[in-house]
Amino acid sequence: MLEIFGLGILSIAGLIGAFYMAWNIGANDLANSMGDVVGAKVLTLRQVCIAGGLMNFLGVVFFGSRVTKTIGKGIVRTDLMMDLDPHMAVLGAIAALFAAGIWVSIATYKQLPVSTSHSMVGSMLGFGIAAATMNIIGFDDIGWSVLLKVAASWVLSPFAGLILAFLIFNLIRHTLINRIEDTAWLEKIFGPLLVGSSCYQAFSFGSNDVANAIGPVPIILGLGDLEIPLWLLVFGGIGIVIGLSTWGYKVVYTIGEKITELTPTRGFSADVACATTVIVCSSFGMPVSTTHVLVGCTIGVGLARGLEAVNLNVIRKIVYSWLVTVPVSMIIAFIIYYGLVGLGI
Amino acid sequence: MRKYIRSPVDMFVKSPFKPLHEHAEKAGEAVHKLEDIMQAFCDSDTKRVFKLSEEISSIEHEADTIKQDIRQNMPPSILLPVNRQDFLAFLKPQDSIPDSAEDVAYLMTFKSDYKISQDLKEDLMQIVKSSIDTIDEYEKLMDELCRVLSTSFRKEEVNKALSKISLVEELEHEIDTMGLKLGRRIFSIEDEIGAVGVYHLSEIVKKIGEISNYAARAADILRVMLSK
Repeated sequence: MLEIFGLGILSIAGLIGAFYMAWNIGANDLANSMGDVVGAKVLTLRQVCIAGGLMNFLGVVFFGSRVTKTIGKGIVRTDLMMDLDPHMAVLGAIAALFAAGIWVSIATYKQLPVSTSHSMVGSMLGFGIAAATMNIIGFDDIGWSVLLKVAASWVLSPFAGLILAFLIFNLIRHTLINRIEDTAWLEKIFGPLLVGSSCYQAFSFGSNDVANAIGPVPIILGLGDLEIPLWLLVFGGIGIVIGLSTWGYKVVYTIGEKITELTPTRGFSADVACATTVIVCSSFGMPVSTTHVLVGCTIGVGLARGLEAVNLNVIRKIVYSWLVTVPVSMIIAFIIYYGLVGLGI
Repeated sequence: MRKYIRSPVDMFVKSPFKPLHEHAEKAGEAVHKLEDIMQAFCDSDTKRVFKLSEEISSIEHEADTIKQDIRQNMPPSILLPVNRQDFLAFLKPQDSIPDSAEDVAYLMTFKSDYKISQDLKEDLMQIVKSSIDTIDEYEKLMDELCRVLSTSFRKEEVNKALSKISLVEELEHEIDTMGLKLGRRIFSIEDEIGAVGVYHLSEIVKKIGEISNYAARAADILRVMLSK
């Protein structure tokens, strides 16, 4: 088979797919973590993007491997497949990666707040089911118990974020806002803290989101049961940073314009709650939607009377996108997988 | 080009409290104009009465536009730091303030060449001035509401707002008493201005009284909003 730089054509396709997903994460999801700093006019857009990109990269490199493992071999027993029929495992992983990329592109075009995590998990499941129907693996080799945990984390994480944000903002309210007469001064003091909390958030997003880009790559490259190689994490991190610098900065700007009401004390509460929730999920290897967690945190601040208006119809949109994303990305992966096999690749 | 954005930014909607404050300012502006129009009315300066009435009417129209804008941006799914129903219930009496100012101005355009005593003129001027005082306090109350929101209901600010509410209500009560006295006086000069004149002037006084009534009613709903 055709080789470039010692890599087979399928490996290259896999890396392109992974890069595209990473680009999407940088272009959209990462922006959510930094918008409030621009909105509060603490840093310039350029400074925000550099700080966010750097922290995200560190999150990817130092903390990104756990969720990556869940995506790569938790949802489908790909380790088993790689022993039985490595070529079919590679095709399946490629199908999953491209299915997720396609669905995320469609959803972004339609401006649906879908999650790259949901898309990637749905796609991996589609790959697993297709492989089972081809009798490559059994249905038992799909990680149903992992899937159940992941699904539970999708429901619980926004609520956890909500409660945490509610508590953090109330704590700030009782200890600082209620006691310090000069509210404007307090907000000014919180400016640098907001930069810190947003960086923490960018770090946490990196630790969770990178898996949605590079999760299936070890299968494609035939890396077996080894640890996720550092170069692959770096590759994902670079893809995200490129996404941020070629498109994501525009999203950061747009969000910053829209959320001027999220003053430093409010933004800080939402950021810390969101980042902590996401980090905890990352340490359990759970691929959650960072966006959905952040929405939960914002509502938490709103419920603590920290915001003058929040439109809750976002909840309906999120539930809807949740319910659509998993089956749709699953079906796309299923079709692509069968297509690749049918073409005799 | 379509925005290639997946972020749920539309959850951040514009705060309805800023336009609410603007609306209160418009109400105040309309009521402040009543001093000039009452002066013109007492001077029997019909031309000026008409001119000022038009000005008040256009302010009232601006207030209406703001009100419509607020209502339009209040989907049932909105989460406010106060009850949404209370908020909408509050907007209603506040919107009646410029409406009543406009009604007073319209009534004055019907007839403005009364020959009434200087004393009565002064009393008419006085009830307008007191109404302006009430509205000024009401506007300060709205400023205080902004501080309550920006401090996420700091107790101290809530208490300041609550005491302003009581002040508006006290002023409203004083105007009620003034209106009652004025009404009696107007009825006692039926021989001079005729029955229609009595009816007309007492309608004007009644409408002026409504301004502070509505301010007090709005303030009372604000009390409910703040106590939750």
